[in-house]
Amino acid sequence: MGKLTMGVFPGLVGSLSLDFSVKLAEAAVKKGHTVDYWVSSNATMLSKKGQRSFKDYSTLYKTLEELFKTGNFKACACEACAEARGFHKEDLMEGWIRKSMDWYLASSFDADRVLMIGGE
Amino acid sequence: MKLGVFMSDYRTGADVVDRLSADKLGIIFVGNGIYRAAVKEGGSNDPILQKSATFYVLTEDLESRGLTAANLAANVKAVTYSDVVDLIFNDYEKIIWI
Repeated sequence: MGKLTMGVFPGLVGSLSLDFSVKLAEAAVKKGHTVDYWVSSNATMLSKKGQRSFKDYSTLYKTLEELFKTGNFKACACEACAEARGFHKEDLMEGWIRKSMDWYLASSFDADRVLMIGGE
Repeated sequence: MKLGVFMSDYRTGADVVDRLSADKLGIIFVGNGIYRAAVKEGGSNDPILQKSATFYVLTEDLESRGLTAANLAANVKAVTYSDVVDLIFNDYEKIIWI
């Protein structure tokens, strides 16, 4: 089994690339791999607690909750990006951590595969 | 090097692919990139499908846009998220997103 590190840089919640990245993480973990998952800029909104689900609208919150339960999924949000958007440590969804981009770089060094998803 | 390329856009990115060099090239169409694999313009397939590469399309993204495997060009294989994970770990050493 391998380790996949993903960095998701842009993207609002509901964006195509964010949706793709979480579903890919889910598929990788289901196959026994581990996933390190980094988000920055607007994608940090994915780490905010208390997100609501709406009918016929893609939501990733429950998928993330299930991923965290496996123990094979780590997720980290850019701390500065979150603070700049006005949400703080106490607003963080359980399971997430917040760090600088060093976390993503360190994870990349010992990953078997790295996928950086850029702008859309 | 065995290189896997995710293409997520219909209109941009082909120029980047043109500049890539790999011993083995795989192109995985996702998001709106799936239209490259399933839509003909002026009766012709997308020019990118003429490249020397192996082509895949993410079934979920294909079907969510009202298309099926029957719409695909002959040299494109439909794959699931689970298949994509296997491609990443087993078939390609490096993966990039365009």
